[in-house]
Amino acid sequence: MIFIAILIGCILGVILGMYAPIISYTYSSYLAIAVIAALDSVFGGIASVVNKRFDMKIFISGFFGNAILAILLTVLGQKLNVDIYLAAIVVFVGRMFVNLAIIRRYYVDKWSNKINEVKKIKKEIEK
Amino acid sequence: MKKNIKKGKITMTITLGIACFALVMVMSMQFKIVNETDITSIENMRETELRTELANWKTKYEETNQKYEETISKINEYKETKQSNEETSKLVEKELEQVNMSLGKNDIEGQGIEITIRETEKEEISRVTADDLIVIVNALRLSGAEAISINDERIINMTDIVDINETYIKINGQRILSPYVIKAIGDQSYLESGLIGNGGHVDEMKKIGQDVSIEKINKIKINKYNGEIKTKYME
Repeated sequence: MIFIAILIGCILGVILGMYAPIISYTYSSYLAIAVIAALDSVFGGIASVVNKRFDMKIFISGFFGNAILAILLTVLGQKLNVDIYLAAIVVFVGRMFVNLAIIRRYYVDKWSNKINEVKKIKKEIEK
Repeated sequence: MKKNIKKGKITMTITLGIACFALVMVMSMQFKIVNETDITSIENMRETELRTELANWKTKYEETNQKYEETISKINEYKETKQSNEETSKLVEKELEQVNMSLGKNDIEGQGIEITIRETEKEEISRVTADDLIVIVNALRLSGAEAISINDERIINMTDIVDINETYIKINGQRILSPYVIKAIGDQSYLESGLIGNGGHVDEMKKIGQDVSIEKINKIKINKYNGEIKTKYME
């Protein structure tokens, strides 16, 4: 159910993004950092769904808040001549891996449980 | 309770879908931007790239500038040598001019005197001979004449002044006739004093009764030698 929604969202996004106007190259670095922040939020959202701890307020505020904060940090970094966006990327990508690990573990557990149940049922039938 | 969970699930799904939609839209926009921008054009270069590029151009500029200065200095050197060459050639030219003048190859002008000797009709007075002219020319040379001509025949080092049959005079192979006009360039008073006074040939000729006159001219022109100066045995 969730994955169907994600897939539909992705397809619609690609179609709309293809016809979107082009933004100047100078701002594309901000956009890139926002994309990574949003990606992190989405993975976090999926992980929370998997853990059954999903909170819509936290998800939406994280989705937009992280993106905006990342952009602001990048701007600040350029003003200070420090590559702060690197720190943002490290944090977001690190969290992405953590969330992915949570999702993976959940599904691996689910499948292994199913297989075990099937085996148990088979054994019972054999008995 | 069950309804509540279901409702929560639906909103959750929709939110995630919208979030994914927004995310993917922005991502595909970004892909398009990165794909379609020419990274090599100056407007899109990063600051560090621009910096290295600028440094490269600066070094190139400095090298070119150095080369340019070297070339300029070389050109100056060439100019100097050219100038010195010109100076030497001018000097040589001047020398040649002087040599030509003293050889009699050029028309020259300067202060000097003009001696005119007229043949008289009287029988008792002996005619003007080549010897008279030779003595006068010698006297002029002695007095420091720089150039001499008789009836516009330039006296050069190989000039011959000869009597033919004691009737007429030949100079440079040309027959000349009275009046004999001897032009000489040099110090006027020296030239004159070489010819007049005791032992002066002009005075002696006057004593015999010949018609001789001396005139000082401030700007006298002596023509060049018309013939060819041939050298066959000189080495």
